[in-house]
Amino acid sequence: MFKIIEHTADIGIEAYGKTLEEAFENAAKGMFSIMTGGGKIESKVMKEIEVPFDMDEEQLLVDWLSELLYIHDVEHLVFGEFDVKIGKEKLTGRAYGEEYDVKKHGYGMEIKAVTYHMLEVKKDKKGYVVRCLFDI
Amino acid sequence: MWDGPLEKVGEYRYMIPKSYKGINGNLKMRVPALIYASEKMLPSIKKDNAPEQAANVATMPGIVGKAFAMPDIHWGYGFPIGGVAAFDEEEGVISPGGVGFDINCGVRLVRTNLHIGDLNKETIKQLVDELFKNVPSGVGSKARIRLSMQEINSVLDNGARWAVEQGYGWNEDLEYLEEKGCMEIADSTLVSEKAKMRGKEQVGSLGAGNHFLEIQRVVEIYDEEAAKVYGLEKNQITVMIHTGSRGLGHQVCSDYLRVLEQATKKYNIWLPDRQLACAPVKSKEGERYFKAMAAAANFAWTNRQLIVHWVRQSFEHVLHEDAEDLGMHIVYDVCHNIAKMEEHVVDGKKMKLYVHRKGATRAFGPNRSEIPMKYRHIGQPVLIPGDMGTASFILRARNEADEAFASSCHGAGRVMSRNEAKRRWNGREIAKILEKRGIYVHPASWTVMAEESPDAYKNVGDVVDVMHGAGLTTKVAKMVPLGVVKG
Repeated sequence: MFKIIEHTADIGIEAYGKTLEEAFENAAKGMFSIMTGGGKIESKVMKEIEVPFDMDEEQLLVDWLSELLYIHDVEHLVFGEFDVKIGKEKLTGRAYGEEYDVKKHGYGMEIKAVTYHMLEVKKDKKGYVVRCLFDI
Repeated sequence: MWDGPLEKVGEYRYMIPKSYKGINGNLKMRVPALIYASEKMLPSIKKDNAPEQAANVATMPGIVGKAFAMPDIHWGYGFPIGGVAAFDEEEGVISPGGVGFDINCGVRLVRTNLHIGDLNKETIKQLVDELFKNVPSGVGSKARIRLSMQEINSVLDNGARWAVEQGYGWNEDLEYLEEKGCMEIADSTLVSEKAKMRGKEQVGSLGAGNHFLEIQRVVEIYDEEAAKVYGLEKNQITVMIHTGSRGLGHQVCSDYLRVLEQATKKYNIWLPDRQLACAPVKSKEGERYFKAMAAAANFAWTNRQLIVHWVRQSFEHVLHEDAEDLGMHIVYDVCHNIAKMEEHVVDGKKMKLYVHRKGATRAFGPNRSEIPMKYRHIGQPVLIPGDMGTASFILRARNEADEAFASSCHGAGRVMSRNEAKRRWNGREIAKILEKRGIYVHPASWTVMAEESPDAYKNVGDVVDVMHGAGLTTKVAKMVPLGVVKG
């Protein structure tokens, strides 16, 4: 589950999960829902992703989403399903999706980058809440 | 709502005093902050936390003079958008937050010898549709030329010169670009593989959001002398391009934010906001970011150069006349997201400064050697893009701009979120309204059309009037769109 958050010139997401992994997966779903018009994304291709966990959980969230953004820009793919594992030294993930098709997926916003603003990874009674804002 | 002190210290000048955050300790401002604004604008400026951000910038090591903010100031990551800050070479810092993600986002203006009477509704539509076809735009738009890694490196090291050498443009074009389209300090080896890959996919594309390509008509001349020198007259047709360094620049910024965040700790720099991450000008991290940023800036100049080439081709195709015969010369090209090493006189002393402009434009007055010979007695042209359906301006820089390290405003700035705009308007309706006003728009999508509705922005005329009234840059001409390609 995720929620889109808005600011005058910016947009971001707040995502939830029972585990940190699930919250990261939902954050990625939220990001692609902003980039597309929310159309269904089928799982036709799978990309394996590895991100070093060398700073804190907040930086890891930025790096994970930035990596997906990079793949989107370079390979013209959009993703709808994710499978994330967070270890001591790295995050390993799988992203499932297909080539971006404006007719099928709709037209959203061009996200330039993931920022540090309002960046937060938080644990509460129900699980994890992660939040970040994008530069658009 | 920001409720700190703003003291009126002159016409259109409001100061946040140095004492605002206390006179001792980490929060102490090293210099005051000065915001250019009209009284009417103050409530909207105080609406978000941008003035606090200007005060935060004033606490940074080595800042010189004042932390400035232009009338289009609004909240940004770390540094406010519309902010100008200059840092001393010895004590100062360099910060990606003071430049922004879209490195060398900028504006280019091309003039023609066409007049409004030479075009009609049908030819304008044909031109816009041809431009839309020839210049990739929108989310996920792909480059129409394929560059090898070696060529990308050459773009990063040589800027617009690379494009002209490859046949994309005229030799004279370079003379009319800020920095002649290349920051020589650029070093492509300091740009990540990832950034280059993103650049490869997007070179020569407009992008989305507030970026645009417009066919305009000059509707008003305020300064006959300067207009003549810039080659502009009433009812003339011009073309404006507003875009930046695309994914390449965004990636360079992201990569170095990570590096500089570590550097901030390493050099023991205390900052009031994590997003102001910076490193000393003379540190390895600071130097590397500066050279990588310059490479991204060179990419942006190449990007706009390729687009100019396709604009000329589109006009040739539709009007069956050579671009040379159509007089499609570049008036000028400015960047409004950049850091530069410049010489300025501070308290009567010449100093080498690292000037950060984020949502602000360089404005060198008469006699600066950096501006084209033809314009040197008038001052540098400052290009202010409006937004779809509103006006754009060309200003002339005055020596008075030196008080703000030779800087001026950059545009309008949003007042409404994209989703709110979408809820309020429908893209097709906006297109119809604009058509009634004589503006034909070809958007990459109808959604963007609603998001970018002119009413979602501050009035660019008010912003320009403040700069004019304050005497930093004065109005030369006003252009309104006839046709728009919207990413």
